[in-house]
Amino acid sequence: MQPFEYTSPTSASEVIELLGAGETRALAGGTDLLTLMKSEVVTPQQLVNLKHTDLPRGIMLDGDTLTIGALTPLSEIESSALAQQHAPALIEAIAVAATPQLRNMATLGGNLLQRPRCWYFRSPAFHCWLKGGSECQARDGENQHHAIFDRSPCVAVHPSDPVTALVALDAEIVVRGTSGERNVPIAEFFALPTDERRTENILGDAELIVAVRVPPHGMRGTYLKAMDRKVWAFALVSVAAMLRLDAGRIAGARVVLGGVAPVPWRSAAAEQVLIGQQPDAGLFERAAQAALVDAQPLKLNGYKVPLAQALIRQALAALTD
Amino acid sequence: MPIQHVEQQRGPDGEISYTVAETPEPQPWAVDADFAIVGHPHPRVEGADKVTGRACYTYDVRLPGQLYAAVLRSPHPHARIQRLDTSRAEALPGVRAVISSATHPDISWYQEGKLFDVTLRFIGDEVAVVAADTEEIARDALKLIEVEYEVLPFAGSVEAALAPGAPRIHPDGNIAGEPKKEERGDVAAALREADVIVEATYTTQTALHNSLEPHGTTASWENNQLTLWSSTQAIWQVREDVAEKLKLPAHHVRVIKQFMGGGFGSKQIAWKQDVFAALLSKAAGRPVQLMLDREGENLAAGNRNGTQQHLKIGAKRDGTLTAIEVQIELETGAYQTGGEASDVIGIYSSLYRCSNVRAEQKGVYTNLGPTVAFRAPGFVEGAFGLESAMDELARKLDMDPVALRLKNYAEEDQKEGKPYTRPEALRLCYERVTEAFGWPSGNQRATTNSTSSKKRGIGFAAHDWIGGKGSPPGYAWIKVNADGSVDVITGTQDIGTGSRIGLTQIAAEALCLPLEKVVLRLGDTANGPYSPPSAGSATQPTIGPAIYAAAEDVKRQLFAAASPMLEEEPDKLELCAAGVCVKGHPEEPISIEEIAGRIAPHMIQGQGARGANTEEKTIHTVGAQCVEVEVDIETGEITVLRVAAAHDCGRIINPITVDSQIIGGITQGIGFALTEERIVDRRRAFVLNANLEEYKVPTVADIPPITNARLNLPDLEANPTGAKGVGEPPLIPTAPAIANAVFDAIGVRLYTLPLSRAQVLAALNQQSTRTATEGAGDATL
Repeated sequence: MQPFEYTSPTSASEVIELLGAGETRALAGGTDLLTLMKSEVVTPQQLVNLKHTDLPRGIMLDGDTLTIGALTPLSEIESSALAQQHAPALIEAIAVAATPQLRNMATLGGNLLQRPRCWYFRSPAFHCWLKGGSECQARDGENQHHAIFDRSPCVAVHPSDPVTALVALDAEIVVRGTSGERNVPIAEFFALPTDERRTENILGDAELIVAVRVPPHGMRGTYLKAMDRKVWAFALVSVAAMLRLDAGRIAGARVVLGGVAPVPWRSAAAEQVLIGQQPDAGLFERAAQAALVDAQPLKLNGYKVPLAQALIRQALAALTD
Repeated sequence: MPIQHVEQQRGPDGEISYTVAETPEPQPWAVDADFAIVGHPHPRVEGADKVTGRACYTYDVRLPGQLYAAVLRSPHPHARIQRLDTSRAEALPGVRAVISSATHPDISWYQEGKLFDVTLRFIGDEVAVVAADTEEIARDALKLIEVEYEVLPFAGSVEAALAPGAPRIHPDGNIAGEPKKEERGDVAAALREADVIVEATYTTQTALHNSLEPHGTTASWENNQLTLWSSTQAIWQVREDVAEKLKLPAHHVRVIKQFMGGGFGSKQIAWKQDVFAALLSKAAGRPVQLMLDREGENLAAGNRNGTQQHLKIGAKRDGTLTAIEVQIELETGAYQTGGEASDVIGIYSSLYRCSNVRAEQKGVYTNLGPTVAFRAPGFVEGAFGLESAMDELARKLDMDPVALRLKNYAEEDQKEGKPYTRPEALRLCYERVTEAFGWPSGNQRATTNSTSSKKRGIGFAAHDWIGGKGSPPGYAWIKVNADGSVDVITGTQDIGTGSRIGLTQIAAEALCLPLEKVVLRLGDTANGPYSPPSAGSATQPTIGPAIYAAAEDVKRQLFAAASPMLEEEPDKLELCAAGVCVKGHPEEPISIEEIAGRIAPHMIQGQGARGANTEEKTIHTVGAQCVEVEVDIETGEITVLRVAAAHDCGRIINPITVDSQIIGGITQGIGFALTEERIVDRRRAFVLNANLEEYKVPTVADIPPITNARLNLPDLEANPTGAKGVGEPPLIPTAPAIANAVFDAIGVRLYTLPLSRAQVLAALNQQSTRTATEGAGDATL
């Protein structure tokens, strides 16, 4: 780890000012940032502690909208009755993320901003495309954990479980910068990295996540995750699915895949198959097929296609039984 | 099994001479002996110290003025150092010593290399080492070392190393050492005569030990005396190796290891860090600690060799094996460490009765880290091939897998042509494990799989193992203190299995003392006699009998001392719970405390040795496991639901520590079967998961209920205590038992470890494609 300066301001606006100075990173739980710094993949000159600032921590209802402060630890959300009532898919996603110890430290804001677990990205030995290099070593390398929707020069996958659920919940991200706050739909917040912006989201250097807002949805939701072992592993593939039934037909549907692309992957095609139909195994199979029809697996991750289809079928079945 | 000891003789002319005399070993404990302490569950002596953080591991050693070291490792899989300049690192404030090929070019290491070689043969090979006031300064200094490398062509896999025109990793080519062979009978003819042949290639992965405590050493070289606190399972081996490398006399080197966070075979030899730390300590004039980080540990301190096993088994219609033929390539990595002990062909030539066997294994160098023993080295890999093939054979013959194994039961050691000491042990393991598991008998094997996507299956696998018999010699001393308490002095070490309690129980039982009157010393070459490495499941069966023999020596001396006190000849005396008494008169004892107190400050000192193993018979260990799994055919997920195990370890000295080894071995076996695999970008010879995030050891959630069907079969021909080792065996059959259960569940055979979701889904997909094609074929008929 390289030396750095550490400051601990008391207001978010001070943090934003410091972030604007460059080579500065905000520190919340530190469960991701510190590991990146230890391997010197990230080498900030200054860390700014968020935990003593006025950034919100906690879970509340704002009208019908569930609002979760950026500094809220995942474990606090996991045990919140409000969150359980308004966003059960999020609770399920958090419960299978990392370990209880990590969930005690990790904040929701930090979880949204965590970087990919791609071993080429994480190793200081590779100057991969996502780190500013010219080549993605995973594309022709050991890509068993990588993207099957190949739409970016980077084939890493987004590692977050909560994010996949929050995309299904159509959440909004409250972002604060030098010119004040704005609400960004989560589907816009996460964006495939580009040559100009080699990250998985559109947050600016001098911006902070303040809160996450989950609007009312009136749907049942669930989150399923396939791992290499029973717990404490990132998703090979996950699915967040939500359904609303009206008079025996599907009136609303959301299907979002995790572990398949650099950003959470919402499948409009699967949702279209479902809308207006009576739920049954055949329908779920068609939805699962539709969700993966565009998949272009790499050499070692073809298994993710049937795995994703299976999780979609199982999630939809669980929501309708 | 005589014990040697030195005896003084006075000749007729009064001249004194010494000979190595032989005395009989103590009487073996009877098979059905009624013990007060042996065989009873006693918790580990050091358990509380470990769980409260008081136990001092190598990393916890803090000496006055201690420095910390860090290693600069090769970033290239194959390269030659053209220029090496450490001057900027040496100039960094806080840096106290830097060593490299510039300072120590001539110390040989491994079977082919040097401590610091100018040719580097894997990513992680050692270039230079820095000692500094703090770990951080040492690591910063590494960045200041300037190295120019001439990058050489490399071989990142066995295939690449064997390809025509492959880069030579060592001057003699890429075959590591002589192939290991076992041949008997006429395999070609026997295969022709077989009614059924199973032919397949089985692949096992390179597995990483990932001991909780990483490799490391703290060295203090003061005046002539070098002391090493090394994380080792072989203090004497480290002393011998380090003394040889540094050209020191043995008595100038002392190795200490009190508490151990596991080694699993990887720490049975001296590693470079032992000598690095010593040299740095000499150069800096201060103690130096060199702990490997997890990455260094996984790259450069040995792995379990990956294998490819090309196997043919032939059998008659009734299940009688006619031939076993296996050709094995194993990935040796860049160097032969001398501590591999990988006997992959071993299980092929011994587990089943078969007159025609041809088995050969050859090691292949690659530009990857070296390999070293890992808990039952070779047998774990071989068992996956052999026991998967036996299951396949049983299916082909429509036989119960256990019945097939009984049909080919090996009553004797076919390699040596000797009987086993307990030829019935494996049969008893089969009986006990199938009973404990509820293995269906005969043809009641139809599984009741529902229409759900989750299919259940059961699997069986057996094993034998060359270890567990003890590695004589080994010695023990016992001092009887004036208050009647005793110190048992050994030079063994506790690799983490809880040897302290098992050995203390032997001493307490033999001396009729309560456990709290006995303390066991170990882990210091300066304070005890020679002991073999804690490898090959050898500690209990080697040092236990030595302690028993020392206790016999103590008893003789106690009886001699008590004789005038009890006014009876020594041979009329015996031990009882209250001390020494006249045989048959426990109501009038004299306590050991009183005897010791009366003769004080004279002291009774017993010595004992572990005699040689019998040459008439083969001592080995055996076992079997049954597994039930659930496989989700949609997601490829394998869940192990339960495991039952039966392993013969002779007399059970402590049921808790035996159960712990069974649970630990099966846990490691589940990891080997399902999730653990070193992942290498072969085109770069780069290990991508030399860490605990991506190298997935099982979590507690991956481990099902485990039943240990204890046998307790005292093996009195093995040694007088009747106990054999059980550290390694429980890992051996777990992976094939799981693979066989997966086949039972889904009807698809998997030939490559670990059994990943990707493999399960691909195999199921192939099967359904095949079924669909066959179905289409039927329709056209």
